[in-house]
Amino acid sequence: MQTREIARHLAEAARHFPFLGPVTEEGLIALVCAELGDAGRLDGFEPYAPSPSSGQPQTFARAVAPATILHIISGNTAHAGLQSLVRGLLLGSHNWCKIPGEGLPEIARFQSFLPPALAERIEIARELPGAWLTDAEAVVVFGSDETIDYFHARVRSDQRFVAHGHRVSFGVVFDDPGYASVADAARDASLFNQQGCLSPHLFYVPRAIAREYAARLADAMATFEKIDPRGSVSLEEQLAIAAVRDEFAFRAATNPDAAVWQSESSTAWTVILDPDPAFTPSCLNRTVFVKPLPSDQDLAEALEQVRPHLSTVGIFPATVANAARVSPLGVSRICPIGQMQLPPLSWHQDGQPVLTPLVKWIDFEPGPVEKKK
Amino acid sequence: MKLFAPMPYSTLEFRLLEAITRPEHESGGWDDARFNDLALEIFRYQREANAPYSQYCNFSKTPRDLEHWREIPAVPTSAFRHAALRTFPETGIVATFQTSGTTGEGFGRHDFRSLRLYETSILAAWEALKIPPLPQVILIRRPGDAPHSSLSHMMGTLGALAPQTWCLDAEGGLDLATFRRASADAIERREPMLLLGTALAFLHLFEQLADTVIPLPPGSLCMETGGYKGTGRSLTKAALYALFHEKLAVEPKSIFNEYSMTELSSQWYTRGLGQPHYGPPWTRALVIDPETGMEVKEGEQGVVRLFDLANLGSVLALQTQDLAIRRGEGFELLGRDPAALPRGCSRAADEMLRSRERKIS
Repeated sequence: MQTREIARHLAEAARHFPFLGPVTEEGLIALVCAELGDAGRLDGFEPYAPSPSSGQPQTFARAVAPATILHIISGNTAHAGLQSLVRGLLLGSHNWCKIPGEGLPEIARFQSFLPPALAERIEIARELPGAWLTDAEAVVVFGSDETIDYFHARVRSDQRFVAHGHRVSFGVVFDDPGYASVADAARDASLFNQQGCLSPHLFYVPRAIAREYAARLADAMATFEKIDPRGSVSLEEQLAIAAVRDEFAFRAATNPDAAVWQSESSTAWTVILDPDPAFTPSCLNRTVFVKPLPSDQDLAEALEQVRPHLSTVGIFPATVANAARVSPLGVSRICPIGQMQLPPLSWHQDGQPVLTPLVKWIDFEPGPVEKKK
Repeated sequence: MKLFAPMPYSTLEFRLLEAITRPEHESGGWDDARFNDLALEIFRYQREANAPYSQYCNFSKTPRDLEHWREIPAVPTSAFRHAALRTFPETGIVATFQTSGTTGEGFGRHDFRSLRLYETSILAAWEALKIPPLPQVILIRRPGDAPHSSLSHMMGTLGALAPQTWCLDAEGGLDLATFRRASADAIERREPMLLLGTALAFLHLFEQLADTVIPLPPGSLCMETGGYKGTGRSLTKAALYALFHEKLAVEPKSIFNEYSMTELSSQWYTRGLGQPHYGPPWTRALVIDPETGMEVKEGEQGVVRLFDLANLGSVLALQTQDLAIRRGEGFELLGRDPAALPRGCSRAADEMLRSRERKIS
């Protein structure tokens, strides 16, 4: 099956998964073009550098996908796992998906929307069959440092290895006198119950509007909860939320710059106004901090501890000037608040290309063209 | 509205000391009415004299006059990191115990104006456990080496009951030679001993003993306390108790677990495996549903909230972060299974912060 046909089927299946964002045939082809230089690169030899104008003979190259890719998918979100699978299918590989023990039904559901010729390129298991790890030409791992180290130690040097460690994300509101970004911020902090690496742990907001912003964010979180309830979480997760609420209730009682807004008689959502700008990891499940936005230099210091682990910053307004201000912070993606959880297929996950590390190249240098007599 | 001035510290301390030390058969029992009266009296005093606690009560809109001790606002343990939670001025501090403090959190401080209640509470509760006054062999740092450790102070206080042998050096390292000598003496004299230590210290002991077995004399008892937080170690209680049996020939039924915290003045105990912890009569424990903040039903899981009247100079009600099953007046602690930690990137964030701190330090 040619790349374009695969792309069409993938786009068709992805329509059933709105959380993947817009996935179109053209978008997928654009990803291939962006990373591999030509839409047909996976289907045959295409012209490669240098160009004929340099006076050197034209060379050709094709990209060859791994015959098999093993995806080790963590339980955080279906999003990252599905994106990885889509890439593997787009390349034309056979895909082994090791899903978490508690299951990840989205993978099988996605498979059900594909034509048989593509669906049969997916196998799913909750327990990792030993042969998958030894036979896969490429291994893509999502998970903690521990998980990544585990698999890294078990792949051979001839197997391609791509690791996506846990990341943390946050938002920055530079200026929002009309509180136009509040509903989008609530959406970013609520989607997937904040489990993903792209979920904001906190929002930096100008000091002058931080309290009002937090109060409005709380209202927006409550509204989102009505439309899309968080659902139940484990006792340990409830405890983590209760503990951070208690801590900040005490701090709010003794410090007028701190405050807590929370759902009544449940842990469904929590907004905490914390005067300390240092990055605070949230206990997640719709628990989000609002912190005063410091100067650019102080912001870099506030993020220093998590700098190597930063992924996305959602900004408002999403202008080029504001993007330039946050780009030195160590993030790998800058997007508008409201889009944090929905990276395009073409995004450089963790600051890296996503197709290139998986493929191998075959170069072809043609001989002199035979002239017809 | 009642407008009595709360009793001063010394009056309350006197009343508590009297109540705690009076033999059980004379005490008229610490029934709930009696506990309630004293608890509410102490609450009124603490709300008046402890400024941050007063702010917390006002913030949580707690009425001035409460009907029942269950309504007394409990401060989270983290509050001791953020404020000086005491009912007396800084100049009145005679002792301060510090929490060990996990990464990046800083230390919590528990200041004391007097250690009389603290020490009396320890000894009276110990007496109620009916542990015979056996010679004590201790795998905990000496009070002089760890002046801010409430556990070391507690061990020092127990020295009033029996002779003590300390088996940790000033840095907290295990002094195996001293332990071997002390246990050999006890075995030779065929006299049971009481071995006290943290779970982590026992783990180190068992590791260093390697294949050596030192069967302690029959009748010997052990008391272990504390978990493995922040040590990167984990072991279930059953596995730890199996090691006690294997290495020291001490059965689970001869092992006590002590549960308390730096922020409190009393201790809760259990014996053997699968049994609830109970506190002395001047304490109460509730198991709270973290989702709703309400008490759970018998047999259900929640988070432990402790009430300790001996905690007179700070706050008597403390919200812990320990999960347990409600069992009558007691609670059965749920072992912290590392795999049961919240999933998601918060755990990862904790891990990355910790690993980064390790690299920095």
